[in-house]
Amino acid sequence: MARRTVILCLRGLLLAVIATGVQAQPPGASGAGGYVGSNACKTCHADIWLNFYKNPHFKSVASGDLAPSRTGCESCHGPGEAHVAVRGGKATIPNAFSVMSQAKALEACLTCHARDFQKANIRRSEHTLADVACTSCHSIHHSPTPKFLLARKQTDLCYGCHAGIRAQFEMPSKHRVNEGFMECSDCHNPHGAFAPTWRMSDRPRMVDQALNNEEPCLKCHVDKRGPFVFEHPPVRVEGCEICHFPHGSTNERLLRRPVVFTLCLGCHNGGASGTRNNGVPIQTSQHNLLDPRYQRCTTCHVRIHGSNADETFLR
Amino acid sequence: MTAILTRCCLVFALCGALRAQEVIAPTPEAVGVARGGDFANYNIVDSIELGYRWRLTDGSVDTYRSDVNYGDGIRLLASNLSIHSKDGHGRWFDEIVLSTSGLGNDPYQNATLRIQKNGLYRYDLLWRQDDYYNPGLLISGGDHLMDTVRGLQDHSLTLFPQSHVQVDLGYSRNTQSGPALSTVQGFETTSSAFPVFENVRQQWNEYRIGVLADWAGFRFIARHTWDYFKNDSTYNLAAAETSGVPADPTVPQQFVRTEPNHGSNPGWFGNVYGTRKYWALNARLTYNLGNGGFAVNELTTGLNSVGAADNRQIVVSGDAQRPVVAGDFSVSLFPTKRLTIVNHTAVHDTRIDGDSYFTQFNDGTGAATTLNFKFLGVRTIANSTDLNYRFNNWFSAYAGFTDSDRQIRFLEAFSFPSVAGSAINDLYQQESRLNSGSVGVRFRPIQPFSINLEAEAGHADHPLTPISDRNYHTLGGRLQYRTRKLQLSTGYRELYNENAPLSFATYSSRSRQYNSAASFALRDWLSFDASYSKLHLDTVGGLAFFAGTQSPQLQTSYDSIYLSSIHAANAGLRFAFHDRADLFVGYTITKDTGDGRASAVPVGVTDPIASLLDSVQTFPLTYQSPMARLSIRISPKLRWNAGWQFYGYGELFHLLGFDQDFHANTGYTSVLWSF
Repeated sequence: MARRTVILCLRGLLLAVIATGVQAQPPGASGAGGYVGSNACKTCHADIWLNFYKNPHFKSVASGDLAPSRTGCESCHGPGEAHVAVRGGKATIPNAFSVMSQAKALEACLTCHARDFQKANIRRSEHTLADVACTSCHSIHHSPTPKFLLARKQTDLCYGCHAGIRAQFEMPSKHRVNEGFMECSDCHNPHGAFAPTWRMSDRPRMVDQALNNEEPCLKCHVDKRGPFVFEHPPVRVEGCEICHFPHGSTNERLLRRPVVFTLCLGCHNGGASGTRNNGVPIQTSQHNLLDPRYQRCTTCHVRIHGSNADETFLR
Repeated sequence: MTAILTRCCLVFALCGALRAQEVIAPTPEAVGVARGGDFANYNIVDSIELGYRWRLTDGSVDTYRSDVNYGDGIRLLASNLSIHSKDGHGRWFDEIVLSTSGLGNDPYQNATLRIQKNGLYRYDLLWRQDDYYNPGLLISGGDHLMDTVRGLQDHSLTLFPQSHVQVDLGYSRNTQSGPALSTVQGFETTSSAFPVFENVRQQWNEYRIGVLADWAGFRFIARHTWDYFKNDSTYNLAAAETSGVPADPTVPQQFVRTEPNHGSNPGWFGNVYGTRKYWALNARLTYNLGNGGFAVNELTTGLNSVGAADNRQIVVSGDAQRPVVAGDFSVSLFPTKRLTIVNHTAVHDTRIDGDSYFTQFNDGTGAATTLNFKFLGVRTIANSTDLNYRFNNWFSAYAGFTDSDRQIRFLEAFSFPSVAGSAINDLYQQESRLNSGSVGVRFRPIQPFSINLEAEAGHADHPLTPISDRNYHTLGGRLQYRTRKLQLSTGYRELYNENAPLSFATYSSRSRQYNSAASFALRDWLSFDASYSKLHLDTVGGLAFFAGTQSPQLQTSYDSIYLSSIHAANAGLRFAFHDRADLFVGYTITKDTGDGRASAVPVGVTDPIASLLDSVQTFPLTYQSPMARLSIRISPKLRWNAGWQFYGYGELFHLLGFDQDFHANTGYTSVLWSF
């Protein structure tokens, strides 16, 4: 009796599990909603299907357990029943990205990619405000790049709109982007970034923070990061770009001026000992600007980014 | 199938047409559409370019190495390997992608690797090595030359990348080592500076572990990081140095400095974000606790500023801390499909303080130890709201407003620990408020044509420095026509920062950028691209400084003026001869015309102070680089390539008497094999 009871209980449990599994099946799995499956698509679009296994989106096909609305061609393009019925035509594709507005393309991609951390700020990014959406930079089926499905090499994409920045990277002193050593995304997040922890937290909006909450320059130039007992305040307050052009410059070491003293005088401007009442020191009468020694400030103030031993950065 | 391949070739050809001009090698032209080879259930595509670089330089090799730095020798110019499982169910992996560039002694070497198995793991590696050379002639007269190697690597492993609970592990490393020059002063802080040899040894390591979880439609991320840095650079003097200044007989005969600086930056990062039909939320909180300990031991012997034998030892020790908290909270609302409202609040707090115990021994006798202390605190709270409204498919507009409040506190203090109550403090506190507003409109009358116009104006009441943004505005606009074969664009942007008078001076900065670009793939065998930019910058500010031919006097009647007018252009033309050969010719030029003056100091200026300031008001120069590359397809899997690139750098005035001009012919020949 007890054995029959146990068997009945097990049968009941098994039925309950099966029933739960059936309930968990998405409605599209049975072909509802006009989904026809990727096999129907590849009949005509064999050229796309041929190499689709190399596409990151193929993961949804390989998983084999996703609802039709979240796997294969129809996860992006929408249900294909009408498209198949009339034997093609963009008008019958619910999401035909080549004719969609940028805003709709963005919404279509965010259906899944809103979960990506890198896109957490996409609503406030300057690209979104300027109507630059996913398909402006990404090519899902004909990407020549090994990662991220970019429509072209990353620098070419960015230069396509930012010709002024391209000009800066062709100057004598520059970060090695054209040389392939760096990419724009080393410092920028094209999908939007958090508010900067430098300047007044207003601009820039597309510069990604590194090392949790630091300016991205410090990701590579870690020797400038400190902490130092005596930090050069502008580095923390205004950011590196108060002295440097971040992309490229006609001046050495990406500086904003060719000769150092003209740069330093921009802030340390004034004639008396002490500070200008806000902590910014001004030069003393010891500094005779006509003496060549005082025209190269960093020859003595060698630790200009920060020092542990001298508040005027002499060592 | 032929049609498919032809279409793919056309796509690649178009990509080539739109490519920005880069360095001459590696060769961007592909052998063809590599379908790769199948092995078991994998498809393998591989390409390797092996070649030889050469260079001939004339003029300042130092500047060439600083600006270009390509040398002679055999290189693995580039390689790409990709392996993909054909059903997404590989046993150990589903994808391997490996790309390298410049291996074998190029100054800029890098490699990326991705290995992943669907649903189980994803591993990414980024490795880079940079040979850095810079004489710093205008900055320090060559006394701050650097010839170092910086190595960077980043490893990231994600477990269960497609599941609702993921684990992230990471390791990053950054090292810099090599010889360099630095400068030290003699026995007094007013003496001349002398070059010393520096052995750069810096190292930074970071370890990361994080968890990502999806719950109730939100994604939660928590990550802990540990990083450790150490700087063990040392300094010494190779031989006795004289100052070269007749009035300064200082001669350091021996100098040694060691200054180990070790520390760590443990940190936390947390983020939660999610999207619903009518709203989205994104919140972040980060915390970094930076701390470091240091010691400095410096010994100098020689002749001091009056020519007497002297020796000085300086000992400094202490520690520094920098806790940083940053948080963001962003709410997005989508009340209709046309309207998006985003409100973003950011809070940031940095507190930097530390103790530095300084003791100086002159001729073996120690002075009282000084305890130097400094605190720098920066606290910023900013709130911004953006409204983005799409009227229809061809017209939309946005507007935004930002309010930011920043408080900066400096506390500088020193005391003599051996003397009770000797502390002297200086406290500075400054609060600044920034308000800015922006508007923009977008037109897309037809699908390929778009017009963007934008403007922003802002005011900060107490910026930290005279050159910080105070009363500023930006204006910008861009027109773009973009199809698969033709791209045309033109744009303009200006940023004016007109600061109100300080107590003694005004400051004005005006920058304007004009640019136009065109790319045209006329045929699949002929394409062309070109762009032109003009970057204008002029600044003027009042000056107060000390200068004089006999003794320094306070000067307040001079202005600091800088004018840069840069014309930058590039053009590239690509021919393909019957799928057998590709020829690319290109040209890039950057020319700063300054203000058009013929000499650094205008004729008639005799005042030595005016002459000095006039001479640094402009920096006219020309930097140009023509190039040509021929790539011949020998077989469907093999190409032979050769290229030449010229670099010419010439300054008009040679500021401070340094001649940095150079000419360099560089080139390469290579074989590119792919399958």
